[in-house]
Amino acid sequence: MPLEILVTMVVCGVVAIAIILHMSGRSAVVPLTEDSATRAWLRHSPDSAVQSARPAATGHAALVTTEQGMGIVWCFGADTIARPLDTAKIEPHPKGLCLRFADFSTPSVTIILSSEERAVWKDAITAAPSPTVLSQKTG
Amino acid sequence: MSDTLNYPDVTQWAVPFFIAAILAEFLWIAIKGRGGRYETRDAVTSLIMGAGSVASGLALGVIAWGFFMILWQVTPLDLGTSVWVILLCFVLDDLRYYWVHRLGHRVRWVWASHVNHHSSQHYNLTTALRQTWTGTFSFIMIVRAPLILLGFHPAMVLFVGGINLVYQFWIHTEAIGKMPRWFEAVMNTPSHHRVHHGRNPRYLDCNYAGVFIIWDRLFGTFVPEQAHDRPDYGLVHNIGTFNPIRVAFHEWVSIFKDMTQPGLSLKQRFLYALAPPGYSHDGSRDDSATIRAKHLKRHPEDQGTAGFDRR
Repeated sequence: MPLEILVTMVVCGVVAIAIILHMSGRSAVVPLTEDSATRAWLRHSPDSAVQSARPAATGHAALVTTEQGMGIVWCFGADTIARPLDTAKIEPHPKGLCLRFADFSTPSVTIILSSEERAVWKDAITAAPSPTVLSQKTG
Repeated sequence: MSDTLNYPDVTQWAVPFFIAAILAEFLWIAIKGRGGRYETRDAVTSLIMGAGSVASGLALGVIAWGFFMILWQVTPLDLGTSVWVILLCFVLDDLRYYWVHRLGHRVRWVWASHVNHHSSQHYNLTTALRQTWTGTFSFIMIVRAPLILLGFHPAMVLFVGGINLVYQFWIHTEAIGKMPRWFEAVMNTPSHHRVHHGRNPRYLDCNYAGVFIIWDRLFGTFVPEQAHDRPDYGLVHNIGTFNPIRVAFHEWVSIFKDMTQPGLSLKQRFLYALAPPGYSHDGSRDDSATIRAKHLKRHPEDQGTAGFDRR
């Protein structure tokens, strides 16, 4: 197949699929509740025992306290990602907090928080011990 | 001995079909309200990975092709180009695919290339196109050498390999439940391949087949889909990025970081590259066997059931 036709077809196909998905609501985030945040954490770290899950007002992330320490779950498209907070660096961000991880596959996440939430989250994260590192196996 | 032989590049010719099938699957899901999920950024990332895979094939394919042509010059055998030879080549190449795929999950160096195909938490037809950009660096093309040395022309080997990949496109869907029993017994199907993409402890490291599921049945790696344990898609340790560069290279970066950490023996450094994913020199990580064992500790009732009856 001529390269210019292949490239045109691929670009048009990707753009068309992206527009159709976005216009049909497939970009919407599913907000986290206390229950769904707990389930999401256990999905990523089934060995831990969750003591509490505290979703942000936006529902885009939740602080999770386990017997082993503290972690975070956040919305990732229609799904979730979870990370312990033992290696995370916390930085202020105009919209809330930015958490940076020493992980090329998950470099950082920005958590949208109100000014009140910001202080509470920062205090909770810095005060609590962190869980042991989640399983690193990726297969 | 024929040096020039031309077959169509079936993966490129299948692109219009891929796009039409993705739209059809999405419409089916949207109308029926079941049969899978789509998310914009996830789908776009998968599509970009697919386009990048084709581009890397065009750019780096010459390395594999040069290697194959050297073998073709070396071998005294030439099986010709009859339809029967092409069919035999297809079946043997599928056996080759099974072992390449199995190595891709059991050797971290090869997994680094393959991992991106499993990095979506979704399972739909776009997931099929989330393909590697770094296959050349895994050196896994070596596994094709026996076919060429047996007398199958390199162009034929690549042609049947392309058909194999095109076949695997349609099995990346939740819109199809089970196929007829005879088909499920012989062929790789959406049900079998959903299991392969599952991160559930029960489903780790199984169903490596490309076209014929018989290889998994033969080599003891077959696990049937369980109605009570629906596949949970993605990686055991899911990645938090839609950036195609990070998706393509993240495991290579991890290998580099692991191998270069201070205080390791030479053997430990090599094991970080060559041992199964989840290896660690200090036991701080879990491989698939450990994950299954931990699951059975939490759920002893699963002992001996499908996926937990493997040695």
